[in-house]
Amino acid sequence: MSGALEFRLTLPLAGFTLALEHATRSRALGVFGASGSGKSSLLEALAGWRGGVRGRIQFDGATWLDSERGVALDSARRGVGYVPQDQLLFPHLGVEGNLRFGCARDEGLVERVLRVLEIEPLRTRDVASLSGGERQRVALGRALCARPRLLLLDEPFGALDRPLRRRILPYLLRAQREFGAPFVLVSHDPTEIAAVCDEVLVLRGGCVVARGAPAQVLAPGGELDEGFENVLRGRVSAVGAASASVDLGGVVLEVPRAELAPGELAVVSVRADDVLVARAAPTGLSARNVLPARVDELVRGPAARLRVQLGAQPLWIELTEAAIDELELTRGAAVFVVVKTRACRVLASAGAA
Amino acid sequence: MQWESVAPALVLTLQVAACSTALVALPALALGRLLARREFRGRSLVEALAALPLYCPPTAFGFLLLRAFRRDGPLGEQALGFDLDVLLTWRGAVLASALMSFPLVVRTARVAFENVPPRLEHMAASLGASRAQVLWRVTLPLARNGLIAALLIGFSRALGEFGATVIVAGNIPGRTQTLATGIFDALQVGDDARAVQLAGWSALLGFAAVWTSEWFLRRSRSATS
Repeated sequence: MSGALEFRLTLPLAGFTLALEHATRSRALGVFGASGSGKSSLLEALAGWRGGVRGRIQFDGATWLDSERGVALDSARRGVGYVPQDQLLFPHLGVEGNLRFGCARDEGLVERVLRVLEIEPLRTRDVASLSGGERQRVALGRALCARPRLLLLDEPFGALDRPLRRRILPYLLRAQREFGAPFVLVSHDPTEIAAVCDEVLVLRGGCVVARGAPAQVLAPGGELDEGFENVLRGRVSAVGAASASVDLGGVVLEVPRAELAPGELAVVSVRADDVLVARAAPTGLSARNVLPARVDELVRGPAARLRVQLGAQPLWIELTEAAIDELELTRGAAVFVVVKTRACRVLASAGAA
Repeated sequence: MQWESVAPALVLTLQVAACSTALVALPALALGRLLARREFRGRSLVEALAALPLYCPPTAFGFLLLRAFRRDGPLGEQALGFDLDVLLTWRGAVLASALMSFPLVVRTARVAFENVPPRLEHMAASLGASRAQVLWRVTLPLARNGLIAALLIGFSRALGEFGATVIVAGNIPGRTQTLATGIFDALQVGDDARAVQLAGWSALLGFAAVWTSEWFLRRSRSATS
């Protein structure tokens, strides 16, 4: 964000009171938490869609809310682009009518949004005929067309099944790059947040219970369910017939080629239980990735896991306590991590900056 | 039975129903919108007053209009300084029909406005639309079918209006006689054939208007669901 987002607010909800305080300069703030933790209410409070919010909200030097001084800007004057879970596309307008709603005269912007979000073929369609993923892109496009100073995305992929959600992620990255729109993204999918956000707030019962970089905060155990996915970012250094090499910062990971092109930024996920650990470099393996690493954190117990650094990026690995003992793993131990190419999933890619 | 004896009443009925619908359209839709979206003091009083013509005998309203517009009434020539020329004219029939159809138009319009999700209006405002633009670009298009149905229901009610009309406008053949008052006149003089013909036309027009309004209501529900 060119400016900072700062809020200290309270909002009584059914069962608990949302009481949050945060200040950030992040361009991509994630808000993570289980259903009913207050994520959507926070977004509606920021958007100015909620009555009864007390406290103070400031963005980019402007005061959006100051209940003590009786200041409460409406959502239009806040300049937010709100994309709610249910999209709220206007059913009587076609795709293009929806996009133009907030910027009827800016021809160039509409055309750019149509191109970047790849909704050009949909422009004459009725919104009732759109699929879930198409609706999400049109809703995001409509918000972008209104030239928002801040995008507020409430589970933008929540209504979609997981594979489709992952297909929408690249559009969000593109929107961020092409339109420079900072955003607050609410999601209950840690992988989604880790893929696109550089800071995350974890909410529980209306309070912030953790905050920081997604790689640090969204670790296995704690807030997360089983099946933790590591999210790694790197630049595509080479593309082969079936796989591509992604430089994670000194360590190169072989991933499925997908639609990657050299020089692109790639976001890749690897499940924590899909990674093997060896003390010595194994040979004769089919796995394409045998990477040297060092253990920098070790957690014992029923949810035993360890963290290594791949380049400058953390990678969590789930394994049994017996394996930790047998391999005599300790903090600082040198290991090799083994990852099959097919165990790496390309979540998104964005063109060279 | 000759067409010539029915045509004046038929034409006047259509003319009165169309004019009375035009007369109530704006105030009834505005009140429907107000009741659908706003909380205010005295709201229940306004609701009760607006619904009154549904529950009071039309003859009572006819009597009130007669008192109001007669020469020494509050809207009469003595009070205003000029004659509005309402009593015993087709304009009186329009006024009586408008008053009696008003609550039906308000109620149906209110439901049409309530069926527009407020969050869509909120989204429009959030995208920079002014209140007038929200109304024009979102609310009215989404409520359109329900509002057309409301006006058609008002038109249907006006087609059959009798009690207030006969008191205010009288029952003068060729001048103020509508289908409804014409049937009464035909029965009184024992002209059953004419009564049957007038009743047939009444039923046909009423059915067409109600059937069309139902069609719009169905479309209205599917458009906003």
